[in-house]
Amino acid sequence: MPFCRRKCLYCSFVSYDNREADIPLYLSALKKELIGRAGGECIRSIYLGGGTPSLLPAEGIGDLLSLISTLFIMDEAAEITIEANPGTIDEAYLTAIRKSGVNRLSLGVQSLYDRELAMLGRIHTAAEASDAVRFARGSGFDNLSLDLIYGLPGQTLTDWQHSLENALAMGPEHLSLYALTLEEDTPMWTAIEEGSLPEIDPDLSADQYELAEDLLTAHDYSHYEISNWARQGRECRHNLTYWRNLPYLGVGAAAHSCIDGHRLANSNSLDKYIADFSGKTSPLPELDEEISPELELAETSILGLRLCKGVNADDIKSRFGIDILEHYRRQVEEMVDAGLLEQTDRHIRLTRRGRLLSNEVFWRFLPG
Amino acid sequence: MEQALTRNFCIIAHIDHGKSTLADRLIELTGTLRPDEIGEQVMDSMELERERGITIKAKAVRLHYEANNGQTYRLNLVDTPGHVDFSYEVSRTLVACEGAVLVIDATQGIQAQTLANTYLAMEHNLEVIPVINKIDLPGSEPERVLEEIVSVLGYQAPDILLMSAKTGQGVPPLLEEIVRRIPPPKGDAGRPLRALIFDSRYDAYKGVIAYLRVTDGRISKGDRLRLMSNNTEMEVLEVGYFAPQPCPATELTAGDVGYIATGLKSVVECRVGDTVTTLNGDVTEPLIGYRPPKPMVFAGIYTTQAEDYKYLREAIEKLNLNDASLTYEPESSPILGYGFRCGFLGLLHLDIVRERLKREFSLSLVVTAPGVTFVITKTSGEQLTITNPADFPEPTEIEKTEEPWVKISIITPSSFIGALMELLSESEGIYKYTEYLGQHQAVGELGQRVRLEYEMPLRCMLTVFYDQMKSRSRGYASLDYEFTGFREAKLVKLDVLVNEVPVDAFSRIIPPEKAQEVGRALVAKLREVIPRQLFKVPIQAAVGSRIVARQNISAKRKDVLAKCYGGDVTRKRKLLEKQKEGKKKMKSIGRVEVPKEAFLDVLKLG
Repeated sequence: MPFCRRKCLYCSFVSYDNREADIPLYLSALKKELIGRAGGECIRSIYLGGGTPSLLPAEGIGDLLSLISTLFIMDEAAEITIEANPGTIDEAYLTAIRKSGVNRLSLGVQSLYDRELAMLGRIHTAAEASDAVRFARGSGFDNLSLDLIYGLPGQTLTDWQHSLENALAMGPEHLSLYALTLEEDTPMWTAIEEGSLPEIDPDLSADQYELAEDLLTAHDYSHYEISNWARQGRECRHNLTYWRNLPYLGVGAAAHSCIDGHRLANSNSLDKYIADFSGKTSPLPELDEEISPELELAETSILGLRLCKGVNADDIKSRFGIDILEHYRRQVEEMVDAGLLEQTDRHIRLTRRGRLLSNEVFWRFLPG
Repeated sequence: MEQALTRNFCIIAHIDHGKSTLADRLIELTGTLRPDEIGEQVMDSMELERERGITIKAKAVRLHYEANNGQTYRLNLVDTPGHVDFSYEVSRTLVACEGAVLVIDATQGIQAQTLANTYLAMEHNLEVIPVINKIDLPGSEPERVLEEIVSVLGYQAPDILLMSAKTGQGVPPLLEEIVRRIPPPKGDAGRPLRALIFDSRYDAYKGVIAYLRVTDGRISKGDRLRLMSNNTEMEVLEVGYFAPQPCPATELTAGDVGYIATGLKSVVECRVGDTVTTLNGDVTEPLIGYRPPKPMVFAGIYTTQAEDYKYLREAIEKLNLNDASLTYEPESSPILGYGFRCGFLGLLHLDIVRERLKREFSLSLVVTAPGVTFVITKTSGEQLTITNPADFPEPTEIEKTEEPWVKISIITPSSFIGALMELLSESEGIYKYTEYLGQHQAVGELGQRVRLEYEMPLRCMLTVFYDQMKSRSRGYASLDYEFTGFREAKLVKLDVLVNEVPVDAFSRIIPPEKAQEVGRALVAKLREVIPRQLFKVPIQAAVGSRIVARQNISAKRKDVLAKCYGGDVTRKRKLLEKQKEGKKKMKSIGRVEVPKEAFLDVLKLG
């Protein structure tokens, strides 16, 4: 849903501000695409994300979900998530979308300090974030996730602990904690380059990550992916699909799919997307990458290792016929020696240190 | 043609004072070439020479000039290399001439190499015609320069010509002066052959072409001749002169300047300064003492890509065909792979070779910090000549170390004396004396011009000295140096250890009292350029087993992609692929992976 009221200063994702008037056109293009691509598959989860999906009218969301339920075979317990910006919602809106079938809410809280929220260019305050949590509970959402960002310019360990503790006090079922990663085309990157914001100290970010690991464990959250924590049984079902490298269908501008050994992507351009899917025929995807078996094995291993439980060589072998402990023997030995991986029988996983240095492990698994 | 109508001369000048432009003008004025055939600077034919305004290989052109007295003269203009690194070649060129045109820039006046070249010309009893060039330029001060020439070099004002080689103004009188003042060559065509080689180059079809000056006797095609330094025999395949293209002739006789094609396979056999004679042994004395060129500066040359080594070998071999003063020996380094330890006449020579390897052979190179030759007497009595710091023995094994020294001469406006003296003393220079040039009253705001003479180890001139001299004098100071001999030195080898592993390429030879300072600088630089590894890496500098500086690079803690969802997989994988490519390009020191640029940064450090 590539619409935002305003672009955040750290964001390099595909999203447009000042285009909310085009939402109706976009929704009809989206429906056309869904109709064109559906083949009666079984689906276990739906995720409305990217940009600010909570800018869509509640009826629009309801229409979309009922269309999906007619085009696909929906699992009864399907997880249906929507991402929401705390500055765009009220209890009536949340009640309406909860009624239309959405059962999981992911709130982009990011920080519980107004000063930090302003630096990030967020459109809401910390107070509005806690209001949003209250609205969510009041409208019947019992599966709530909060996003927070650490490693902010100037953010101390104590600042981070404060945001985190306040977030925990809201009692979410799920938390996603992301290290701020700035791309060169963002205003915050430029601000750091120009010296108007302090540089980010990677060692301090590492300390903040480790603090979060300890604090969340103490609060009974299980760390199940590099950047994700959940109460028992509340892991995000949808995102697990990505980390297990299983097929998914993505629709909308800039959406990616992974189907039948191909990774496909739609155009990043909102105008092009709307134009393409307003006609009679379906356009070809902008990107169509064939994933070779060798690459698929590597990606499956890498994505699997993002999960804290790691990967099981037998599971991979039953899927690919290849024993990764043989195939990646040298890499595994080297990374075990370096203290970044640990092996228990037929199982490998990142260590605590390895989670922070996972790129060093992952690139070694790439072919070539 | 009569010997009495021949004039052999060269043009000498400090770099950029207009030597090549004047040569072009003389070629044009005598009708040897039409202006449209000249292009720019005929005598500097290598692209690199033109760019740098220096002449690397001497050449000779024959000009025919009808003088005011109605006689037609044969003027042989011999070009000289314009840089101090090639002073031996310059001196051989001077031996081939009876006169020299000394060009001095009207905007700059006498510079260090003006003096050096003038003294060389005087030593060889050449008739010198001083000319002040570039009088067309707005900043020119011909009167001041004239006064300087009179008072410093001792020439008389009426004997000094004023001109602009660029516009041609004042050039025709020079031709008359050459005829009038420079004596015709002596020598006797009837005596046994003696000819001096003042340059040579390799030609794929005719073998080595030797440029020579015939002093006595004559040379014709088909003659069998002998080189006196090494008794190499050869047959003259062709004889001729340059106008400026090669023009075959029937013979060259006493007093002539021209070339012979020898059929020899390498210029190493046919070197500048050697005397050519006949096989019969009538001549026992060479014209001048022959001295093989002696490389003074050494550096390792490697290719960036190990697989290019064989191209580097071919390229160096090819350059060596035409450049006998370039020496090379295979060398290998655990980090840089296979390469060559090359010897050069000086830093400029090194620069030229490096540039030619890059441009003419498209090679991407790593050149290690230049160094000098050390002569070491070990406690065992054994004597070693060392050109690679890595071979320097342990301090306890050394009885005596000797290193080359140079006498340097710097000409500068007096306001920079203080800054330059400071630089010279930092560079281990020993003060000899100061000389004020000229008595001109109208000293500029920068003060009167002064010549400083120092002695210093050649080692200290090799890295930052020249650039520092230029920057501390705002570009005004000029430098000349000559090798004076080896002197005893107190020096140690400073090693750099990365993660406890010594890195040969970073070793350097320095005075013990500088070990800590240099060690600290190297360690600090390495700490800055080596990326953090998965483990802590100590960086140390050591003399023998004594650590003089140490810093640690702490282990990397965070290298993680925070987000990786469906839409990110391809993009994130590409980031990892880039990381993998980057790792492949790194060199390992033990377990430490270092980007090549980091090496280069440190190698560049003085």
